[in-house]
Amino acid sequence: MLTSEQSIVEFKAGRAIPDRLTQKTHRHYTGYAEKMLCIYRNGIGTQRRCLHRQIETLFAGEPSCPIRRIQAFCKLLDDAGVFATDPSGEAAKLRVKVFSRAASLHPLVQQPDRLFEHGQQQVKAQLADELGTTWQRIEQALYMDVTAFQQLEGFEGYSDPAALLSRYNVAQLQACLYQAESMTVAATSDFKTILRYAKLARLLHEIERLGPSRYRIIFSGPASVLRESRRYGVNFAKFLPALLACKGWKMTAIIQTPWGGSATLDISDRDGFTSHLPSPQEFDSGLEENFAAKFGPERDGWQLVREGDILHDHQRTFVPDFTFRHHDGTEAFLEIVGFWTPEYLAHRRQVLRQFRRPGMLMAVPEKSLREKTGVTENILVYKTAIRIGPLMEALETLRTKAGS
Amino acid sequence: MPTVAGLSAWKWDVRVGAWRCDAIAYSSVRAALKARFTPSFLDDVPQPVRVCWPKVELARHAGGGLAQLRPEQTEALAAWRQGGRRGQIIMPTGTGKTEVALAAMSEAAIATLVVAPVRDLMYQWHRRILRALGYDAGIVGDNLYNIKPVTVTTYDSAYIHMDKMGAGFGLLIFDEEHHLPGKCRREAAILSAAGMRLGLSATPERSDGLHKDLDWLIGPVVYRMPFKKAKGSTLADFDVVRIPVALNDIEQATYDQCSRVVRHFIASRRKAMPGYTWQDLCKESGQDPHARHAQRAYYLKQSIENRAAEKLRVLEDIFRLHNGQQILVFAGSNAMAIEVSRRFLVPTILSHTRKRERLTVLDGFATGQFSVLVANRVLDEGVDVPEAKVAVVIGGQASTRQAKQRLGRVLRRSGNARATLYEVVCEDTKEVDRSRKRRRSDAYERTVHRRV
Repeated sequence: MLTSEQSIVEFKAGRAIPDRLTQKTHRHYTGYAEKMLCIYRNGIGTQRRCLHRQIETLFAGEPSCPIRRIQAFCKLLDDAGVFATDPSGEAAKLRVKVFSRAASLHPLVQQPDRLFEHGQQQVKAQLADELGTTWQRIEQALYMDVTAFQQLEGFEGYSDPAALLSRYNVAQLQACLYQAESMTVAATSDFKTILRYAKLARLLHEIERLGPSRYRIIFSGPASVLRESRRYGVNFAKFLPALLACKGWKMTAIIQTPWGGSATLDISDRDGFTSHLPSPQEFDSGLEENFAAKFGPERDGWQLVREGDILHDHQRTFVPDFTFRHHDGTEAFLEIVGFWTPEYLAHRRQVLRQFRRPGMLMAVPEKSLREKTGVTENILVYKTAIRIGPLMEALETLRTKAGS
Repeated sequence: MPTVAGLSAWKWDVRVGAWRCDAIAYSSVRAALKARFTPSFLDDVPQPVRVCWPKVELARHAGGGLAQLRPEQTEALAAWRQGGRRGQIIMPTGTGKTEVALAAMSEAAIATLVVAPVRDLMYQWHRRILRALGYDAGIVGDNLYNIKPVTVTTYDSAYIHMDKMGAGFGLLIFDEEHHLPGKCRREAAILSAAGMRLGLSATPERSDGLHKDLDWLIGPVVYRMPFKKAKGSTLADFDVVRIPVALNDIEQATYDQCSRVVRHFIASRRKAMPGYTWQDLCKESGQDPHARHAQRAYYLKQSIENRAAEKLRVLEDIFRLHNGQQILVFAGSNAMAIEVSRRFLVPTILSHTRKRERLTVLDGFATGQFSVLVANRVLDEGVDVPEAKVAVVIGGQASTRQAKQRLGRVLRRSGNARATLYEVVCEDTKEVDRSRKRRRSDAYERTVHRRV
């Protein structure tokens, strides 16, 4: 991730537009990206400040390239590299050694004369001699603990120039979010992934159902209810790559402008940002996949939707594996409890108890049923696969009940 | 609930189904609830732990311990105590704010968080607490997260972590409190439930006027010692010598041209947006070619101002002139400090300098082994620097605050010798303005201009 000092955002007509390099507008940047990767690949053993200077020089002929963009590239390249550190404090030891020896010769003058006879060139050469090395070596190691003087040891890099540019675009988007007060996501699928990663980024949510499989989720932090705050901006930025990996969403964030006003940042899955995270898997297990294949998209008037609804109670959420929607408007949910550890099953039981409702069906493996007492009509027991017959019966029972 | 507490601080949070208010309101909420519901009032919020100070206990038997406070320090501490242990103490640098704070910690004997502007100062507080109170404090900041009942941190780390640790402390100490009221950093005060708060500064005023908010973030000013008084009693006399560094004709022409570009651009923007600043220009430079042009001109201008080579030459002259004397050099940046160090092979103290090297360097300087010590501007505030009679400033910011504090440090009283502060500035540049601005503060009444 970038720092705020590397962020480039244009504010136009109440909208925040982070810097973005596309094939259409910045085709020639692919060449720059290639050269930048070259500089770092060939730069093993080079000090960080020299690498940065090379990148800056590379863009010298590009008058319209802002300094922040160059600095952002340097940051992204640095992030993909490994730099020599000085954990045992060798540089500090060397400094004490060198400076102590030089102390009695102070001041080191440019031109020795009768009053001050210690010229810097001579003293430096002499010191290097005493320490059994060259002055160039000493100079290189003298401030090795300062970030700018560290040497590149390895460079994992990016798979190709396009990958660097696409990471740059996402990084600018994230940096823009540092200044965000709140984020609203209109989602139509991948609810589980969205909610899970938002929770990992320590965000709170407000969920509103807009229609079948359509939700508006407002993300913010604990203190947001008391005052507008940017303190969760980094959390939004951390959450973003997960969102970019999902499908069927629109996102609007309220961004604080440097002038104390606010602007909106609008993006959606159609904007073509590429996440470095993989897309969410369609099915959590083979069990679910087999069931969906066997059921088909629709059966006896029941439409099957995978992870189609969010059940929520304050900050607890539950996305059942499947939603069934009948033509007459009846809805039912199916949660498949897999073969898991006792701890997982206990947790699952608690969640299911909290979200128990008439339309909630559960498929439970026979093995995990220790006593039959808990079995009700809403529980389908299965051995290796879920049978369609009993399921259709249960669905129809629900529909009759709802109709009566 | 809100009406019960008689406070407008409460807001209903639908996301979790609970009433919510800021931690800073804890004391007043508690008082209001207690007044309303006693005797059935019960507060089961975990209270900050009590702390006992190994060294103070020991000292009580052996005699000694905390340094004896001077009359004005005792006065300041009493004023804070009288204000309900919530308030600001304003004392010039070099008059012992830290000792007052340590005495306050000692008598409060409760879990305490000390917030310092930079990590150097954070480590310095750690050392001072260890020395005075015998307590090895925890550290949050500088990639460490080690919370103990007594912890030291920086403003940036406090802003990030206070929502997780703010309930554990009974006393907050804000060193150089003028850093607190910024739009984000103030949350370090808002997100803590600590009832006792102490703010310390030589110069609480901020150009944006936000220092007024310190009254509710910390508490009102309970004690203020004027600068003039301090100068006569604890600080030494001094001369200020300004050394202009001349630019050659080409540099001067480039410099003037760049200045014009930046000035025109800012002026044209300010017609539409009166509050337009340098930060705005940076934000805008991504898209607007004019802004970008102005930004490039600015950086070029800055590089001319930095003019390392010329400044190093002047520095050599000063070293020749004061051969045999201890000299402190304040560079404008890490890079410049390292330039000086590499040229003259003299030790530096930078923000990242570790404890052992710092001690070696400071000791070496104090005993005279090293005649020169170079520091970046991080040393500007409050760091214990050994006495020196000669200081050189090469580059720096135009604020009375820094000027005062630099002086306080360089000119700590020792004997009767007069101290000298050199300012190396480029002629006909903005740095001259800064120098002029600096002298406007009452600290600079006499300035000698000298060419070397």
